[in-house]
Amino acid sequence: MNKLSILIVLGCLLVSCESINYVPAVTSQMTTARKGQHVDFATLRQGRTLLVHRCIECHTLPLLWRYRTEDWPGIVDSMSHRSSLKPAEREAIVAYILAVRSVEP
Amino acid sequence: MKPTLRVVIFVAALLPVLPSFGGARHFTFLYEANTSAPGSLELENWVTWRHAAGPGRFDQVDFRHELEYGITEKFQGSIYLADWFYESDPEHSGFTYSDTAIELIYNLTNPIVDPVGLSIYGELRVGDRLIELESKLISQKNFGPLILVYNATLESVWEGSDLAEREGEFSQALGASYEISPRVSAGIELLHEFVFPEWRDTEQIRNFFIGPNVSYRRGNWFLTITALAQATDTQDEPDFQLRTIFGIGL
Repeated sequence: MNKLSILIVLGCLLVSCESINYVPAVTSQMTTARKGQHVDFATLRQGRTLLVHRCIECHTLPLLWRYRTEDWPGIVDSMSHRSSLKPAEREAIVAYILAVRSVEP
Repeated sequence: MKPTLRVVIFVAALLPVLPSFGGARHFTFLYEANTSAPGSLELENWVTWRHAAGPGRFDQVDFRHELEYGITEKFQGSIYLADWFYESDPEHSGFTYSDTAIELIYNLTNPIVDPVGLSIYGELRVGDRLIELESKLISQKNFGPLILVYNATLESVWEGSDLAEREGEFSQALGASYEISPRVSAGIELLHEFVFPEWRDTEQIRNFFIGPNVSYRRGNWFLTITALAQATDTQDEPDFQLRTIFGIGL
């Protein structure tokens, strides 16, 4: 019975982790989400792709709400050399993160 | 433990000090599905200490020096410059060069956005008295800070003076790693081996190892350590294994 309880708890934890969408798909709403700024769809998609490929080489993905909007460019910048990101790729990742933050509640 | 072996372990601990950047490993007996960034180059130094007690007691320390290069976003290649080892048993002790190897990994799906992250792996080891082919299916799923990985591996080995000794091995490994902080992860690794001497299963050799791992990363380097204990009772197999991988970007 104890083993079953542990398995149920572990299962619930995994399901709850999986139900959190760490990297939501790019929507057209995201392209105009940031006031006064338009980011093209392709850049946001590239940013998402790079985020899920390069960043997990060293660490798991944090919730995008974990850090303040103004902190994200510096955070990505600090690890861009390690993950071999070119300036445009680094900007694409930041653009995606900020766009997600702008549209998600 | 013999003084010479102590020296070897001490020197091995210093090897990571050599100038050597890139993705961090959370496991040492398992591979993760993600591949290195295109254009990135990393040196990884592997040290594995195997110890067996009892009548067939032995100590062996294996060294591997891997140069890993990201070829495309989903394809990486590695060269193991030299695999060598130090062994010590009641009859003899000494250093031996084993082989040089190449390894290729192709990533098929991503562990975050796809239901399961998958990669395929191939390795060829060639030495003075050794040829080994190894293929692997790597699967991984990330659940927030938790990484779950499963590897299925098939190995074919030809060894001896005229490569007459043949052996096959199927192994499966399961690992879990939880990210305690962006720099530290800890988890568990399980290794289940099925050994087929001469490609036969008459001896029914099954080995099962289990143990904890811990990984630390900072700047352009990482260090991951796993300690495995044998849960079965197979003669000629280590009772205990300790593997350290130190990686640094070049």
